[in-house]
Amino acid sequence: MNSLTELHLDALSEVFNVGAGRAAASLSDIVGEEVRLSVPSVEIRKSSEIDVSSMGLQSERFGAVHQTFSGSFEAEAILLFTEEHALEIVRDMMGSQISLEDLAEFEQEAMCELGNIILNACLSAMADMLNIPLNCSLPDYSVATTEEIFRRVSDDLEQPYVLLLHIDLAIERRHSEGHLIFLLSSTSLKDLIIQLERFLGAV
Amino acid sequence: MAQLMSPSPFAMEQIFNSISLGLIVLDAQQTVRMWNGWVERHTGIPANQAIGKHISEAFEELPSRAILNAITNTLNYGLPVVLSNALHRSPLPLFQRNEHEPEGEKIRIDQSITITPITAEYGERHCLIQISDSTTSIKREKILRTHSEALKREATTDSLTGIYNRRFFDEHYKMALGHAVRHSVPLSVFMVDIDYFKEYNDSYGHVAGDKALIQVAAALRKQLLRATDVLARFGGEEFILMLPNMAPDSAMLFAEKLRMAVWDLNIPHINSRICQRISVSIGFSNFYKHPDVDANSLLKCADAALYEAKKAGRNQSQYLPLQNFNISSTAPAGTLHKTASN
Repeated sequence: MNSLTELHLDALSEVFNVGAGRAAASLSDIVGEEVRLSVPSVEIRKSSEIDVSSMGLQSERFGAVHQTFSGSFEAEAILLFTEEHALEIVRDMMGSQISLEDLAEFEQEAMCELGNIILNACLSAMADMLNIPLNCSLPDYSVATTEEIFRRVSDDLEQPYVLLLHIDLAIERRHSEGHLIFLLSSTSLKDLIIQLERFLGAV
Repeated sequence: MAQLMSPSPFAMEQIFNSISLGLIVLDAQQTVRMWNGWVERHTGIPANQAIGKHISEAFEELPSRAILNAITNTLNYGLPVVLSNALHRSPLPLFQRNEHEPEGEKIRIDQSITITPITAEYGERHCLIQISDSTTSIKREKILRTHSEALKREATTDSLTGIYNRRFFDEHYKMALGHAVRHSVPLSVFMVDIDYFKEYNDSYGHVAGDKALIQVAAALRKQLLRATDVLARFGGEEFILMLPNMAPDSAMLFAEKLRMAVWDLNIPHINSRICQRISVSIGFSNFYKHPDVDANSLLKCADAALYEAKKAGRNQSQYLPLQNFNISSTAPAGTLHKTASN
């Protein structure tokens, strides 16, 4: 059993939207104004079948926040934001007027936090709803080109599956789209399906 | 994975207390289990007072809501959390040490915080709070930023007179002309040259020459009224002005205003063949809805007007219309408009 049915995807969608709600609440606390976050689509693909267009990556460069997690479920999570959009949001959050070219150390740290909040919220929602306890590394931030990300995803033989979420993030007048990529091993995918079945059975 | 050759608890304690990083360990009930020397120094609260207390009561003030939520999340889900300095500034009441004035005003430390889950005895989940002082890195960054702004400013400023340099003018002139073409608005250019400046330097020396240049630049600058007006030092004793949205009639008056401003400085110049004071010659032209104008022709036209002003005896302003200049690229006779001379 290596594929997710519509029902599974619906369930995952529900899980991640709960996560998005939690992330929005934490972000609103920090920013002091309403932050809206939603996950409009969830899909699963074989990484060998993935190409740039299917990942919906429309920008050249991305800010990438990366965390690995382990436990009963092993995966790598990469959250991608169009570099410019994400920085605009971070700058709004900081209320600073620094130009994007002068991206400073402490803004990168803020990007890390932004990613960390969203990833943690999604992971904690998974932990709560699917009952999967997780361990996780600290996030790191890097700037990556579309090709680097693509290579990273498609060359990973250990983790042949990709769970792809599209994220909408809006703070007041700003709007940004992000992509959350989970790289999964076959075992992890099986585990995920088992947990989803259990979740669906319990509902 | 860190390993110690002889893990003596004594050595460990010394390491934790000497490290220049704040370390706090909380158990599952959020009770303080560790409070290292750095935290003692920056709170003024000794470890034996903090240990055993709930985190929200361990400090002299309540920690921020964000960090209390983050701690709860880390303990509940085992997920690490980053609290960046940019978004939180100072979540914990930690203060800079001020040995000189122990009773002086307390300054809060800018903090970067990470909270990671750790597994304690019996598999219970604790969390480690690491606090680093980001004051120095923020200070460093501010210094770098100030330097880069200063360099940007220097790169566009004439070091002697403090007005813009030619590089700045060239960049902005292209933009201003583009704007004038697109929006069908006028753009006037004035070239100003100090009369017999070589003779001035010869009689008074270069130090006095520099002083005169500074005075002339300041007098010209005083005539500018709008933010879009640009005055730059174009060469040795030559200045250039660019004024968008100026009607041709006003340009005549303005050129005279410039000339009189320098005249009224009344800087003595015994070897000037005009009068015994410093004067300037001005050539100007303007662009307004001219077809097929390239960036250079307006400058060349103003320069040709300046040449005519000098030829006609200096200490005067000359206007050369761009359309006349474009026809034959040298000033045809009878097209120059002499404005005045003292």
